[in-house]
Amino acid sequence: MIRFLDQIRWWLLFAAVMCLLPLVVSTGTLRIFIFANFLAIFAMSWDILSGRTGYISFGHPFLIGIAGYTTAMLTYHLDWPLYSTIPLAVVMTMIGGTLFFLPALRTRGTYFALVTLAFMELMYHSMQVVQPKLTGGTRGLSGLPTVVYGALPNYYLSFAVMFIIAVGLWLLIRTRLGIALNAIRMDEDAVRSSGLNTTRLKLFAFMISAMVAGIGGALYTHYLGSIAPRGIFEINFLFTILVAALLGGAGSIVGPIIGAFFLTFLLELLRPYIPGAGRYLIYGVIALVLYYYAPKGIYSLIQPLRIRLSRSSRGAQID
Amino acid sequence: MTDLLAVQDLSKTFGGLSAVKNLSFCVSEGETVGLIGPNGAGKTTIFNLIMNEFRPDSGEIFFKGEAISRYPTHERVKLGIARTYQVPRPFSEMTVGENIRVGLLPDNLWKMVTEETDEALEIEIGRSVGFDDHQIAQQPSELAMGDLRRLELARTLAIQPSLLLLDEVFAGLTLGEIDQISELLVERKKYGLTYVMVSHDLRSMAPLVDRVIAVSFGEIITEGTFDEVVNNKIVQEAYLGQ
Repeated sequence: MIRFLDQIRWWLLFAAVMCLLPLVVSTGTLRIFIFANFLAIFAMSWDILSGRTGYISFGHPFLIGIAGYTTAMLTYHLDWPLYSTIPLAVVMTMIGGTLFFLPALRTRGTYFALVTLAFMELMYHSMQVVQPKLTGGTRGLSGLPTVVYGALPNYYLSFAVMFIIAVGLWLLIRTRLGIALNAIRMDEDAVRSSGLNTTRLKLFAFMISAMVAGIGGALYTHYLGSIAPRGIFEINFLFTILVAALLGGAGSIVGPIIGAFFLTFLLELLRPYIPGAGRYLIYGVIALVLYYYAPKGIYSLIQPLRIRLSRSSRGAQID
Repeated sequence: MTDLLAVQDLSKTFGGLSAVKNLSFCVSEGETVGLIGPNGAGKTTIFNLIMNEFRPDSGEIFFKGEAISRYPTHERVKLGIARTYQVPRPFSEMTVGENIRVGLLPDNLWKMVTEETDEALEIEIGRSVGFDDHQIAQQPSELAMGDLRRLELARTLAIQPSLLLLDEVFAGLTLGEIDQISELLVERKKYGLTYVMVSHDLRSMAPLVDRVIAVSFGEIITEGTFDEVVNNKIVQEAYLGQ
């Protein structure tokens, strides 16, 4: 219980810092934070499936794309209001994703990764050639309505959604479900031999992952105001999500958030010096070096400090 | 005594190799059966078939009178069959207590999420196989082979099985550790637990088993009491060669 309350305090501290941030940073920096919040949502979505169960998905942009295109087409062509298209997009992501991914969950390891990668490629090409009048073809759809206007409201919206998702996932993973999902990553056969239906567990993890990807995908599309196959189904976008989760610390909730913030700001800091795709080379090297020295991610470096701080503050309270 | 497990005409081939051939045997409730045979005789394959880790080519398995060949592994476990592995397979990044917790998890998502962990029960099960509180908080990488075998036992006992399949439960253990595990098995047998035990350590197996089945090349060559089987000439030839 003490540990739970202690962790709640850290979440509240994080929320407080993020809420006060607009007072001290520029609008430009706030926009970077908005991208970081969205990347954190995508990284958490990837992590709840892949970081927990060990089923490495290369198809998350596929899920984000289902949500993005669903809400984009409904608002663009039918002029439906956002409060109906966004929930619908999330539901579509969960249903559509499940229809595709369920057969994939019968494969393991590299095969699963390749099957999910194939889904992303399939979606990339389909969106360009199948019903281009609906999807906008290679150019996609633009001029989509935004949920809120301006950097500040968008910052608070993206942070609030990211924070609610993070705390929700954290509360879920704290239950025995977290133990079961982690056990699948370590030895799925042994979990089955313990009397647990691993297909059901993986499917549940996938549904949660798809739901989070759907929420993030729909809001991200409306934040950008446009969607195009090259933006969503790009390999760099996929790897940014993966690297954010792995670099921050896969298999934790905080890790992907740290990774997302680190990566987004790293890429932005490099922008003036190395414009274009060359930045990815530098960030790749930095990611490799970090991954070499801290294979469990940046969170594993920060966690001992956090625990020490918690203990010393508890000690001070006792004194 | 009624049959708890009945295996009928079970066969399994891998490519051209026949690992199990028309194998039939029964295990009664409360009985301890030893399954012996030289390396590659098909003993572990029999366990894998009973647990549905491999699908048989033909044959049927009955548990408590019910045909279970169509059941997936987790359903068989829920019926009351559990197994240990030849090489212990702990969840490497979890503590001993958390490993036991996996065995205690309900196969129900709602209960898994809403019900609290029964840490007292975890500790009780851990202690029942001989772990102290310090060890229960340790990770598998910090444990000796004997402790890892006890951890596997603890996790399977947490499932509360009525039939336990023990694969090479004495392999790699010191004499002291073998005594500890044997005592534990005898203790559990008093509560009605039924065992099928695979072991190359015949001396350690001898005092525990009621009956022994000898297999070679996937077929039963003989069965009977421990002394009858180990003194059987065909069994000796299977182990030592002609």
